[in-house]
Amino acid sequence: MIEVRNLKKTFDRDPILKGISFNVEKGDVISVIGPSGSGKTTLLRCLNFLTPSDEGTLVFDGKTYDMAHTSKKEINEIRKKTAFVFQNYNLFLNKTALENVTEGLIIARKTDKVIANKKAEEMLEKVGMLERKDRYPSQLSGGQQQRVAIARALALDPEIIYFDEPTSALDPELIGEVLEVIRQLAAEKRTMIIVSHEMNFVRSISSRILFMDGGVIVEEGSPEKIFGDPKEERTREFLKTYRR
Amino acid sequence: MNGRLWEIFLNSFTRILIPGLLVTIPLTLLAFFLAMIIATIVAFIRFANVRIIKDICRFYVWIIRGTPLLVQLFFAYYGLPILGITWNSPFVCAVVVFALNEGAYASETIRGALNSVPEGQIEAGYCVGMSYLQIMMRIVLPQALRAAFPALMNGLIGMVKDTSLASNITVTEMFFTTRTIVTTTYEPLLLYLEVAMIYLLFSSVLSKLQVYVEKKLNAQVGKE
Ligand SMILES: Nc1ncnc2c1ncn2[C@@H]1O[C@H](COP(=O)(O)OP(=O)(O)OP(=O)(O)O)[C@@H](O)[C@H]1O
Ligand SMILES: [Mg+2]
Repeated sequence: MIEVRNLKKTFDRDPILKGISFNVEKGDVISVIGPSGSGKTTLLRCLNFLTPSDEGTLVFDGKTYDMAHTSKKEINEIRKKTAFVFQNYNLFLNKTALENVTEGLIIARKTDKVIANKKAEEMLEKVGMLERKDRYPSQLSGGQQQRVAIARALALDPEIIYFDEPTSALDPELIGEVLEVIRQLAAEKRTMIIVSHEMNFVRSISSRILFMDGGVIVEEGSPEKIFGDPKEERTREFLKTYRR
Repeated sequence: MNGRLWEIFLNSFTRILIPGLLVTIPLTLLAFFLAMIIATIVAFIRFANVRIIKDICRFYVWIIRGTPLLVQLFFAYYGLPILGITWNSPFVCAVVVFALNEGAYASETIRGALNSVPEGQIEAGYCVGMSYLQIMMRIVLPQALRAAFPALMNGLIGMVKDTSLASNITVTEMFFTTRTIVTTTYEPLLLYLEVAMIYLLFSSVLSKLQVYVEKKLNAQVGKE
């Protein structure tokens, strides 16, 4: 479904992504792990064109895009098929939970208001936020905001959802409720790329794991392989810091 | 207070209040309304970094903020006609000058407020497929205007008082009228105190209004 080839990105002469290549098949749950600063966020942002790439090819549903030279139209085309869940939720602060979910449908997709509201309520129900649909982000806990953000992503019927550390801004007691929602999406065979430091979670839901360090994918494989029998020294070193 | 002074006070009260209601207030509201439109557009252009127009906007803000309002009024009313630019009435001239003046200051307020909206709001908008203009109009600008509201109201209250400068270009607003009355009654202490009270009254009403609207605005985004 998606193929990324030789993706490169440099910030102020500092190479952050040094040629990333991987494939995503429909239904894959791919987790990206790696130390802070290894380029995980940058990778997701490049995939969604929030950050322009210097070089790279993206094949999405059989269509090839030159990532360094994409037109506005192409970017929109790709964004229509994707959704992004941010580390700090980024809910629209001047919109209620419900409006956050309908905004993209009504304004960007020109969906009929009644249909959009119905769809939004369905999605909020799914993430357990229907009773709070009229609350503003400032009236919701972090976990609740993130669940609304997931509902907002789901409402757009994306072919793939990118999660950038969806729980790392949350208080420990709120992490579970968000992970539970993502786990449910994995069970539904939704295609996702998840950047996360929740190793137990990553291990249990991923179909494949990419370990990144220093702007490259150091190792890639099944959870059993990466956690049970990593080939690379760097992977082992990294995982050691999570074992106590 | 002796009877004569009391009589002058009462007689002049309505004589001053009426131009207040018929000139000062309309002048303020009209100029402020136009100023908000100018300020929003200028702030928007500078925020979005539109080439060339951005520099024109910066030039405009530079000129307005760098010169006294009174000089701007005289320049427009007495100076421009020499270049063939004439005014239908001093009132129109004052509206234009006050609008341009306040527009420059308010544009900086709004620009700062636009910059204070987190980048993530814009990115989230892109991710749900909205265009830049849609994001600005529906997400960023409403948040920015809410944040800028107290400072903008400050500008409005300032403008009510600054309209007294328009007396210098023969706009028959409150202060102009007061000065006229002083020339016939020779009671500057009483009359200038009186007009000051009326300005204070106007500003106080606006301050109250500000508190009320601020509460409403905060309730709109779920804040106490
Ligand atoms: N906009 C930017 N300008 C300059 N440098 C940047 C920018 N964004 C990221 N970087 C740099 O790129 C490197 C990788 O950042 P990135 O956010 O992708 O890391 P990460 O793997 O997501 O780390 P973390 O686990 O801490 O979230 C960092 O060194 C960061 O300083
Ligand atoms: Mg990151």
